[in-house]
Amino acid sequence: MDEILRVENLSIAFGHNRVLNDLSFEVFENEVLGIIGPNGAGKTVLLNVLTGILKPDSGRIVYKGKDIAKTKIALRTRMGIGRTFQVPRSFEGMSVYENIMVGGVYGRLLSEKEAGAGADEILEHIGMAGRRGEIAGALGLLDRKRLEIGVALASKPDLLLIDEAAGGLTESEIANILEIVRGAKQKGVTVIWIEHVLQTMLEGTDRTLCIAEGRNVICGPPRMVMDSPEVHAVYLGTEEDE
Amino acid sequence: MGAVFSKIKDNLKEGIRENSENSLARKIAHGKNAKFIWIAVMAVLLTVPAYAGDYAINVMILMLFYMALGQMWNLLGGYAGLVSLGQQSFIGIGGYALAIVSEKYGLPAPLAFAVAAGVSVLFALVISIPIFKMQGVYFTIGTWIVSECLALWFSTWAWVHYAQGYNITVTYNLSAKQIYYVAFAVGIGSLAVVYFILRSKLGLALMAMRDNSAAAEVRGVELYRTKLKCFVISACVTGVAGAAIYLQQAFIQPSNAFGISWTVSMVFIVVIGGLGTVEGPIIGAVIYVLIRQFLYNFPGFSMVILGIIAIAIILLAPRGIMGLVQKWVSIDIFSVRRR
Ligand SMILES: Nc1ncnc2c1ncn2[C@@H]1O[C@H](COP(=O)(O)OP(=O)(O)OP(=O)(O)O)[C@@H](O)[C@H]1O
Ligand SMILES: [Mg+2]
Repeated sequence: MDEILRVENLSIAFGHNRVLNDLSFEVFENEVLGIIGPNGAGKTVLLNVLTGILKPDSGRIVYKGKDIAKTKIALRTRMGIGRTFQVPRSFEGMSVYENIMVGGVYGRLLSEKEAGAGADEILEHIGMAGRRGEIAGALGLLDRKRLEIGVALASKPDLLLIDEAAGGLTESEIANILEIVRGAKQKGVTVIWIEHVLQTMLEGTDRTLCIAEGRNVICGPPRMVMDSPEVHAVYLGTEEDE
Repeated sequence: MGAVFSKIKDNLKEGIRENSENSLARKIAHGKNAKFIWIAVMAVLLTVPAYAGDYAINVMILMLFYMALGQMWNLLGGYAGLVSLGQQSFIGIGGYALAIVSEKYGLPAPLAFAVAAGVSVLFALVISIPIFKMQGVYFTIGTWIVSECLALWFSTWAWVHYAQGYNITVTYNLSAKQIYYVAFAVGIGSLAVVYFILRSKLGLALMAMRDNSAAAEVRGVELYRTKLKCFVISACVTGVAGAAIYLQQAFIQPSNAFGISWTVSMVFIVVIGGLGTVEGPIIGAVIYVLIRQFLYNFPGFSMVILGIIAIAIILLAPRGIMGLVQKWVSIDIFSVRRR
């Protein structure tokens, strides 16, 4: 399998707080790579570095064979890197449909017509068909999380980064998210999926990477990773997550 | 300043949420109704000079001018996240374009509007190079300093008559009615500009930036370019408005033309009316001009009253008066929604 993303020796520190430490891993085309790790492990910081919100101190981000470390935020999206936020950041004054339009028009430089034409399919995909007119600011948590994924999908990403879509949701709602991610994979999207809910990682990912203190602890088949002594050591002493 | 604006932003969000949760909202101004309201308002505005007295006409002129200025400030402060205190740069440039074209060179006054627009755009482009390197409060202060520099420069510049300024004599041949139609064109023109921007691709980016600019960038919106476009458009229309305003005032001096009180008015108007809405600057301009007229003999006092109103609204009323109104009735005269 070809790799779509290779992260090499990525490091970033905030003052004395070294959040990513020589982190390396790769992502293969059309897989779902799960990322687990205790609170503060650097998972969100990793996504912020991958999307350009934070600049790494050192290391390389090779996406589709190109080092994108210097590429601007908006351009990375247009190159096919979409993401969701741990705390949803929808455009609250805009409708569900308009939120999705932003993704298509600016994330993929579609005309409004093209983006509008694709919107129904995306609404269908995220299970929000028929709700295009609702104002994003009035949506509940599940809907906001789904809409986040929808807006990211609207930019037709090749690589989708999901930051804790299941956190705070009920079991049936999580199943809903799982369904959406599977749908994305079926369409050929590669997914990096950060999640604390281990059961979801077992069911929904092809490989799982465990990060602690910004280091690659172990990476491999989900079952193997979760049963490994390394992961148990990492979670020992920290809270029991599900 | 920063704290106040983040408070406004919070209010804005809260207001939007409340507004959309309000299932009782009666729809009085959608679709066909909106069209009728539009036509009625235009008919009234176009015929004002036929039945109104000079005083009323002059009040209307002020409302139209201030609405235009408010719309342009709102484009920056309400949508693009650029809090400027230097829009008076363009009012001054517009006003001086008029003075120089018509007084210095004796050319026809309408030419001044084109010159005002052109020079404002050029100046905005040039000044954006240093000023866009500044963020947040520094941008705000930077825009103000630019205006102060212009005031100083014009006061010491022989070519523009130093601080004495110009009498704009073309005005002497114009009736209040004629000036009213100039103000009408500027006011409705500014509204049209904002409306079409918001309906365009650029508008989609602007609304996204209004709601969450960091997220907009991650969705592919190039913030710098979008802000620059707004800055230039806003400068252009404000410059034209400046020329029109000094066509009415008939006298221009650097201290007045480049004075910060212009932009302070714009901030009042937009904050009172409703930040990040098309209707807000209209409501704000009407209230602003009325209060100023009622307290005409106490100019300092009227500023205090406006200040108190503005602060009360920042603290109490999400999305300004527009937000308050929308809690009860759903008004959408200038619908920029995509469906
Ligand atoms: N912009 C920032 N400036 C300074 N420190 C930061 C910044 N962003 C994150 N950190 C720090 O980096 C560390 C890792 O944070 P991060 O948000 O990546 O954790 P996480 O793995 O996503 O945890 P969680 O599971 O709780 O979401 C934390 O100690 C946090 O305080
Ligand atoms: Mg996180």
